Amino acid sequence: MLSAYVDGQLSAGERVRLEAQLAADSALQAELEALRHTVALVRDLPPVPLPRNFILPQEMKTSVAARPRPARRVRPRRAWAAPLLTAATVVVSLFFVVVLAGDLLLSGMGGQAFAPASAPHKEAPQVAMEPAPVSEEIEAEAEAEGEIEVEVEKAIPAATSIPIPAEVPPRAATTATPGAEHYGVETPEDVEATALAAEGGGPVEEDNALAPSPGPAAMEEAAAAPTAPAAATVVMKKSVGEAEPTPSEVAQVAPPVAGEEERGVSEGEDVEPASVSLWRVLQVALGLTALALALVTVWAWRVRRQ
Amino acid sequence: MDEATLITAAQQGKVDAFNELVLAYQCQVYNLAYRIMGDPASAADATQEAFISAYQSLARFRGGSFKSYMMRIVANRCYDELRRRKRRPAKSFEDFGNVDEDANPALINGHEGPEEYAERQEMARLLQAGIETLPPGQRITLVLSDVQGLSYQEIAEATDVPLGTVRSRLARARGKLRDYLRTHGELLPAQYRLE
Repeated sequence: MLSAYVDGQLSAGERVRLEAQLAADSALQAELEALRHTVALVRDLPPVPLPRNFILPQEMKTSVAARPRPARRVRPRRAWAAPLLTAATVVVSLFFVVVLAGDLLLSGMGGQAFAPASAPHKEAPQVAMEPAPVSEEIEAEAEAEGEIEVEVEKAIPAATSIPIPAEVPPRAATTATPGAEHYGVETPEDVEATALAAEGGGPVEEDNALAPSPGPAAMEEAAAAPTAPAAATVVMKKSVGEAEPTPSEVAQVAPPVAGEEERGVSEGEDVEPASVSLWRVLQVALGLTALALALVTVWAWRVRRQ
Repeated sequence: MDEATLITAAQQGKVDAFNELVLAYQCQVYNLAYRIMGDPASAADATQEAFISAYQSLARFRGGSFKSYMMRIVANRCYDELRRRKRRPAKSFEDFGNVDEDANPALINGHEGPEEYAERQEMARLLQAGIETLPPGQRITLVLSDVQGLSYQEIAEATDVPLGTVRSRLARARGKLRDYLRTHGELLPAQYRLE
């Protein structure tokens, strides 16, 4: 505080308080005098003479004189660049928004249209083999329930259980009905139970009589195509109220349907992913272009302001 | 030409205009560097580098005191050099004081006799030694204030520190120098001794 007091840098309040202390403290006064003397000695230091001149050489001229000129040239040439880039950015951004909105709308509509058809297509290897009338029936049920995958899963165990007739009837009576209630599709167990009830025979004998025939048919279907379980379902449905299908009928059913199914699956898979991927590429390209243009536009405005 | 005109001409690349400014301020700049560094060679290097740096960065000069502008540049140069020497000490205390009085007529005061001259030289030597015991920040602040006569605000701008820091640094520097002179000033003449 004594140093600031010597330089007159104290506030009014600080100065008054210090002067009061100085008046009451002789040691503090001595310190103040010693400080003043020191400051005076330093201020009286003689100037040191120059050893030489420090003027700059003439070649310094070019390095400094050339600097401002490039900055002046840049402005008039690129004065139009910033507004043009701004306009381009706006246009590309609008295109991007339109493409994105269109994609969202199409995917929302297409998803509803494609969902029922795509599910069967995806499950083609398993669900296929159904002839046209039966497929329509299943599709209708699928639309109502929307769970064809589960139907197939139900059909598979049913088909695999066919070769074991002794075990099927008891479970068919208890499990098939709940499954039918859930999915609305007659499982092989349902068909057997219905057939048995219609014929009025003993469950064991009827099952034994019935089971072997669907079994071999189902097995032939499984060997003929990967969609054997569904084919077994078809066969069992046909057997209700009808004569039991012969292996030749099953063979006639399976391959054409399989071929049609495969063609349908391949076409659908080819058309839909190709259009989606092209749309996506366009979106990404427009988005990146808009971003790059925006960055260049910001830089151009900064250069212009300089 | 006035200082503002010279600065404008120098900003346009006219070295002659800048050299006019150099001639006007080189003594103050060199003295500042000398008091901080303590030896003529280091002071000359710092001075030359400061003027070159000032010329090359003159485009960023936005008006105000050119003296403060130069003080800031040379003070920063000296501060960097002192920190570098602190990491790699190479200067010896004996280097101080090798001034050729015959080549520096300014040191010779026609009104004083040889004894007064010798006493003044001894006092200056002692003060310089005491200044060189100070830390770089306090040293620069003391020299800018008591040797160059800058105000607290100008010192704050030159050293880029708050006003309170300037005040505290200056107080500590003066106190340390006062204590140094009390300790080493026993052989000084009465007018120079601190009681």
